[in-house]
Amino acid sequence: MGTVITIDVYPAPGADDSSTADLRRRLDRARMQLQRADDVFSTWRQDSPVSRLRRGEITAVQAPPEVADVMSACEVARRLSAGWFDPWAMPGGFDPTGYVKGWAAQRAVAALDGPAMHGALVNAAGDIASVGGQPSGDAFRIGIADPGEPRRLAAIVELTGCIATSGTYERGGHLIDPHSGSPAARVASASVIGPDLGLADALATAVAVAGIEGLDLVEPLAGYEALVIGWDGGQHSTRQFPFASATGATAGR
Amino acid sequence: MKRAPIVIAGTVAGLVAVLEFHTTPVKLTLAGGSSLPSAVAGGAGATTQPASGGSTPAQPASAESTPARHAQSGSASGQTAVRTATGERVNYNFGVLSVRITVSGSKITKVGIAYLDDSGNPRSQFIDQEAIPILEQQALQAQSASIQGVSGASYTSAGFEQSLQSALHSLGK
Repeated sequence: MGTVITIDVYPAPGADDSSTADLRRRLDRARMQLQRADDVFSTWRQDSPVSRLRRGEITAVQAPPEVADVMSACEVARRLSAGWFDPWAMPGGFDPTGYVKGWAAQRAVAALDGPAMHGALVNAAGDIASVGGQPSGDAFRIGIADPGEPRRLAAIVELTGCIATSGTYERGGHLIDPHSGSPAARVASASVIGPDLGLADALATAVAVAGIEGLDLVEPLAGYEALVIGWDGGQHSTRQFPFASATGATAGR
Repeated sequence: MKRAPIVIAGTVAGLVAVLEFHTTPVKLTLAGGSSLPSAVAGGAGATTQPASGGSTPAQPASAESTPARHAQSGSASGQTAVRTATGERVNYNFGVLSVRITVSGSKITKVGIAYLDDSGNPRSQFIDQEAIPILEQQALQAQSASIQGVSGASYTSAGFEQSLQSALHSLGK
């Protein structure tokens, strides 16, 4: 998928040999989930089932069962995003890449979940799935990159579940008008937090293009919160977006 | 050629750092222990994959044949040896880049851009300055004290990953 993925595990102290061995097995299963997702869904691999599906060589029924699952989930995401996320509208046909990255990371963290562990994070190029939290018992603190100043953080959140961020410069300028040079998206980046990373990924893509109006799509969704960062650095978010409390930078709304 | 996601697994206290790379089966061989840049044949790095995929427009892939350079330095202990490697120059959407990585023991400590030529295209400069550093940031963030991750749109560039893979290859991974 052309994606660098990092996996961070926070083991509980006093792990004996068998717990450590069990953790390593879960790490292997997490990697296998990612490998499997790449095998099935990579549009860069000519022979992947999704590539063959796009060329009409096979039907969804003939593809591995994960493809049908992802297609169903994408249909839900298309409806929930009022069509701002539409993998069927991609050049070349159905392209679920904007959903699969998060979906795969979520499956990987689920494979990792288990005993002898405070928490774990799977970070697929900025889309993060998590279980548990810090060894201190606090929630994970996740920074959101400032799209205008990449080595700075625009915000820090206390994360339960998953976060996806979509920006106008990802995927080779898909969201930028190559003729005018002007971004087609109304905001510089959008972040969505929620329990399902695939859906959060799709919603972040939708909100990045839709802009501040996109927040209205997310507000009614129980468990999902969103933040948009404008070209001027200004921030708008849904009401309960989990900005971290005082310590460190918490940008005003 | 089979492509696989690169998975970098780091742990915080407790477990020995696990660094696993799912790379192509072809591995470059290097003169062991040499501190001189090795002239490595194009090998696995010189692929003919498209520079982009999915919904982005396909571009001709013509990875330059600059061999991956390898430098080795650091202590005698294999556990803490610090090594750097620069991947081959590859085309990406707006120009040419190559990736440099630094590995300490079994852990990647730095991922950066060793070479970038985007012909001064103002839009690509926006992307280069904004997006590529985010990828660098993600590779480093495990060492940040107050946060455990960074979420940011990243430039998932085939060129970046290709050059990164060639840098990893040159370290024998």
